Amino acid sequence: MSLVTRKLIAKELFVNRWFIAGGMFSGIVSVLIATLGRAGFNVGALMWMTTIIAMGVMLAIYGVMNERKEQSLQFVLGLPLSIAEYVRAKLVGLLLCYLIPWAVSSVAAIVLIVTTGVPDGLLPYTVLLCVFLLTNFALVLCGVLHAKTESVVAGAVVVTNMFVSLYMFVIASVPGLGDHMQDPVPAWNRAVFTILAIELCMLAVALVLPLLVAARRRDFL
Amino acid sequence: MSTGNLIEMRGVRKAFRFFTLEDLTLDLAPGQIMGFVGPNGAGKSTTIRLMLGMLGADAGEIRLLGSPMPEAQALAKRDVGFVSDTMRLFPQASLGWHLSFVASIYPRWDSAYAAQLVKRFNLRLEQTVRGLSSGEHAKAALLLALARRPRLLVLDEPTAGLDPVARHEVLTELMDVLRDESRSILFSSHNTVDVERISDTITFLDRGRIVESRDKEQFLDAWRRIQLRVPPGSTLPELPNIVNRIDDGQFTTLTTNGFTESVLPLLGERVREVQRMSLEEIFVATVMHHRETRS
Amino acid sequence: MHSGLNISQTDDRPMYLQIMEQIRQRIAAGDWEAGKELPSIRALAADLRVSVITVKRAYLDLESEGVIVTRHGKGSFVADAGGLAGEIHEQKLDEHLAAAAGIARLLGHSDDELHARLRRAKRNLDRK
Repeated sequence: MSLVTRKLIAKELFVNRWFIAGGMFSGIVSVLIATLGRAGFNVGALMWMTTIIAMGVMLAIYGVMNERKEQSLQFVLGLPLSIAEYVRAKLVGLLLCYLIPWAVSSVAAIVLIVTTGVPDGLLPYTVLLCVFLLTNFALVLCGVLHAKTESVVAGAVVVTNMFVSLYMFVIASVPGLGDHMQDPVPAWNRAVFTILAIELCMLAVALVLPLLVAARRRDFL
Repeated sequence: MSTGNLIEMRGVRKAFRFFTLEDLTLDLAPGQIMGFVGPNGAGKSTTIRLMLGMLGADAGEIRLLGSPMPEAQALAKRDVGFVSDTMRLFPQASLGWHLSFVASIYPRWDSAYAAQLVKRFNLRLEQTVRGLSSGEHAKAALLLALARRPRLLVLDEPTAGLDPVARHEVLTELMDVLRDESRSILFSSHNTVDVERISDTITFLDRGRIVESRDKEQFLDAWRRIQLRVPPGSTLPELPNIVNRIDDGQFTTLTTNGFTESVLPLLGERVREVQRMSLEEIFVATVMHHRETRS
Repeated sequence: MHSGLNISQTDDRPMYLQIMEQIRQRIAAGDWEAGKELPSIRALAADLRVSVITVKRAYLDLESEGVIVTRHGKGSFVADAGGLAGEIHEQKLDEHLAAAAGIARLLGHSDDELHARLRRAKRNLDRK
């Protein structure tokens, strides 16, 4: 990784520091709220979901599209780097920006389940959901790095967020998952691992595709 | 190729949906300033982007500081400072942050010079880029390019939107760069007065093609307005290189783009005055001539 | 590092001619004495904020007039006096006469008329 790429990744983290801090804060607070009884759990869970999704959307839009619109892309491309290095820096930088609050929020949720009265059976579902949200972000990021117009970006964001609701509904009804959510013991069965494998595959594709496609573009401006 | 030229283009072609850049060939030698002029939409900014590897050419060769573009752009741009009037710095960060950022990337960063420029340009390090006026932003971007002490400066409308004092300061800094005969500047500008004054070479672009790329003094020497009085009964000889002719009774004005002293004896006593033309007048005459010859 | 020369934006004449004239004036006045080194082409160009090519042309033309001498690798110097001031003035005389001839033609005056005017001008000068 070249010096310029590293500096750009650092810049990404710096420029988005309030998003990151806010995301971590909101993730932890929502988990704390979720400890306050049944109603608290629902509110906290909703807040937790909203935080992670909103962060993904904002990072994708502000992280990539605005740079193009606000023409700081010209400034960056004037630096000693290739288009491939730019795509890499963007990918890794924004991923890290998301990863930090995502990791904090995910761990907080898992800790909540494991340590409090919330049934541990919820654990596999939660893990799958966390990985799904990360994959979802990666897909949006992948789309945004390839998109040439703002409308495509907006479309990608809308579509992937529709998936979230779809996902939550569908996953809960998968045999082997939904039926064990209220158990006191987590059920790490085949269904869980299959879905996990699919999610991780999609994550890998979303992260590798820009390196193969967007990075090879000859026209970037 | 590769004779130490800082920029080389040979037969470069780039096609877009409604517009094609064709047959672009030019050289920028060390120690030179090239003024890049042309009407809006001629393709100046696109040509600059091709030079810097932001776009890939469909055909032809481009070399920046000897490196083929766009393949070797990461290497070539180590010694280049690019500023465009449509470029923006990161809005959320401060000017001071930008100085550290750029300094960490370019080993030849001159922090003493950067500090001098901050003072000279009347800027403040703590200010966020978002809060800068357009003039201040332009100066900030230029500062970041100048303080890296690049061998090549590529400027797309560097003085657009600057007040006269700021323009004066910027031009002074640019000319200062040229004290070093190994460094060069390419700048595109609508400000024909500045271009005429400080350019060593003028490259004229119109409708995607390079019309002229020539030593400025030779270029200006080739264009003349000849004011004639043609008495009734007398006719003018056929002359080459006449771009425009206006007849008003006995008085005729010829515009030529290939003036030589030898033309005058052919016109004899009819000549009342031979006038030099400013770059702006040449610009307008060229574009008008092209439009006429096309229609 | 400032040469003290000045290029006017509103002056019609090409920049290289302005530079030449100003250098000639300083030499004729004695401010720039014989043997004095001229600023390097690049330094003067940066100073005046004009292109190197313009200064180069001025220096080349001054050299062909014998006003300055360029030693390769060393720089340009004011040529030795020995009637240099005289040369400069002779040139000025030619310039003024050419201008006068041009105006006379415009007005349609004959050669005799032009001579008469010149004699009159001389007489006025002698009277002062």
